Amino acid sequence: MHKILLIIKREYLTRVRKRTFIIATLLFPLLYMGLIFGTGYIAEKSRANLHVAVADSSGYFTKALLDKQNALDNSSTLTLVEPKPGEKTFNYDSAGFDAFLIIPALDWQKGNNEIKLEAKKSYGPGSTSLIEAKLNRMWDEIKNDSLKIDATKQRILLSSRLGIHFMNITDPKADAKYANSIGLACGFLIYFIILIYGSQVMMGVMEEKTNRIAEIIVSSVKPFQMMLGKIMGIALVALTQFLLWIAFVFIIYNVTKVSGSAGGVNSLIGSVQQIFTSINIPMVLFCFAFYFLAGFFFYSSIYGAIGSAVNEDVREAQSLSFPITMLIIISIFMMTTAINDPTGPVAFWGSIIPFSSPIVMMARIPYGVPGTVPWWQLGLSMALLIGGFIFTTWFAGKIYRTGILMYGKKPSWKELIKWAFWKS
Amino acid sequence: MAILELHNLKKYFATQKAVDDISLSIEKGSIYGLLGPNGAGKTTLIRMITGIFFPDEGDIFLDEKKFDPLKDVGKIGYMPEERGLYKKMKIGEQALYLAQLKGLSRSEAMEKIKQWFVKLEMQSWWNKKVEDLSKGMSQKLQFVITVLHEPKLIILDEPFSGLDPVNSNLIKDEIFQLSQRGSTIIFSTHRMEQVEEICDHIALVNKGKKILDGTVKKIKQDFKENLFSIGMEQLPLSMNGDVPFEMIGTKDHHSIVRIKDGSKPNDVLKYLIQQGATINSFNEILPSLNDIFIRLVEGTPAARQFQNVES
Repeated sequence: MHKILLIIKREYLTRVRKRTFIIATLLFPLLYMGLIFGTGYIAEKSRANLHVAVADSSGYFTKALLDKQNALDNSSTLTLVEPKPGEKTFNYDSAGFDAFLIIPALDWQKGNNEIKLEAKKSYGPGSTSLIEAKLNRMWDEIKNDSLKIDATKQRILLSSRLGIHFMNITDPKADAKYANSIGLACGFLIYFIILIYGSQVMMGVMEEKTNRIAEIIVSSVKPFQMMLGKIMGIALVALTQFLLWIAFVFIIYNVTKVSGSAGGVNSLIGSVQQIFTSINIPMVLFCFAFYFLAGFFFYSSIYGAIGSAVNEDVREAQSLSFPITMLIIISIFMMTTAINDPTGPVAFWGSIIPFSSPIVMMARIPYGVPGTVPWWQLGLSMALLIGGFIFTTWFAGKIYRTGILMYGKKPSWKELIKWAFWKS
Repeated sequence: MAILELHNLKKYFATQKAVDDISLSIEKGSIYGLLGPNGAGKTTLIRMITGIFFPDEGDIFLDEKKFDPLKDVGKIGYMPEERGLYKKMKIGEQALYLAQLKGLSRSEAMEKIKQWFVKLEMQSWWNKKVEDLSKGMSQKLQFVITVLHEPKLIILDEPFSGLDPVNSNLIKDEIFQLSQRGSTIIFSTHRMEQVEEICDHIALVNKGKKILDGTVKKIKQDFKENLFSIGMEQLPLSMNGDVPFEMIGTKDHHSIVRIKDGSKPNDVLKYLIQQGATINSFNEILPSLNDIFIRLVEGTPAARQFQNVES
């Protein structure tokens, strides 16, 4: 036991002291935020403000109507044009327009789905849907006038609506909106951890094998201790990184709470507080810690075994670890289904079967325990995952013991399984 | 008293009888040479002695007790043929870590490392990384790490490969000193001249079996071919009558002769003197271990990877 501690200490300290760890710890949250805000910003920026020429054959769209809408909504400008008789198409390009809207003869009772918008370039739905909305607002006005619906009636038509507020009565705190985003975040984090730190275990084992230090170490400790020490050391590194991130978030939250007075910051704080009250935070944190560690052990021991089986060639390791990486990616697909239907069959099976349960169950838990996830399901999932990682660690240990001193041709999965059942 | 005894050790792999029924006894304080061609099973045998492999059959006794790999780790120091250290780890920390894995406490390990580093002039290496060292330097470090915890049994696999003569002698001296202080040394190699120089006992392994075992002196006597080298002022003009030897050839103005069965060196001298020869020197030529090795191993195929284990 003392020796495992020594190995854990070495694995932990050599990694945490590295400059790359410190940089990654600081940069990841920044990149993550950048990704979220950046994509929003770019989507906003890439929306084109189109100047559209409108040729109206229906007679409904008058200049007054267009001007009124242009004043209300400046995301596009619609201008009525009249192609000269005899001219087949209007040369909107040279007249300074981006696109050309051709409105045919229309019946106000039927409408038309085929109104043509021509342009010399392609514009995304982000731009064209705005024009469509503008057009429909005018169409509503035209219909209202034809039906003789006055302003009062219009208001009634628009504002009188029925809405549904969903409530889970066994767990009134569960709020689907926040649960969805928290679940997604948890699932993705576990996915990243398993992939990134799992491959760190693999690379670490490969390094020991190619450096030939493995033989010196296994003459002092059992190969199984060596593998376990490495996995635990790296798990602690991941955990450290996490705690640092949580601490960052906490500090930033409190600092903005104290100093921030702007409206945007206040609404952000408001929504954070709403998350705190609507979701069982201690439960989510506890389950996160559990699924993070158990899922990591489940996968990283297999990654360690692969690292022990191959030589210094990274491609060999990649081809051998491909099926394992596929399992993790399938889990992510199952999670995206589960998050929209947290009590459906994919969610249920995905969160029970050990290979996908760390990711899928974590996406369900914010919806509420025991409301969405009954206690028995949580218990079964945890028990199976513990059983699962004990099995994979045992299995990996057997492969590791043989692989770490074996040089030469890359073994296949079939051979690896044979190694696992060799007598010692 | 034997420090290590092996009884009928066997280790079969899927395509190879790596060690096939080997028994050995190694006396305390001796320097024991384990010889054999590549692929003879030396490394597998050593890995069983160091507890890396479990034997399929047979028993190992260390210090007259049954060998327990977990408990006896501290009694053995092993330097594998393929040297290995963490390239990016600082040398001092690395030595400390590996010594602690052998069971030394931190302070003990620190003290011993300092002694060795001073002794071999390595003090300035402490904060360097292994990747900064030359091959010979890292070899020296590897040796220090192997013997640091003062093991009773030291196993060195090709300890001099890659060392220059100066460092080679340095390590050789350390090996002798360790042996004098009571450590037993097993020395695995196929470099025969080093074996003759250092070892007092040897065992020769080939194809997983032990084919020879004994003191260097005795083995040489067993394999001698009654060859003598004779230095003479001038050769006798004629060789008449009952000649007790046959001429094999000459080398550096010395005649090489083989004494016939039933005759003795004295008969040779008597005969030559009678023929009027003036003798300057008369020496027995003992076979070198190299000759014995080649004679015993020759003819066996170099690669035996694909033999059938079932048969």
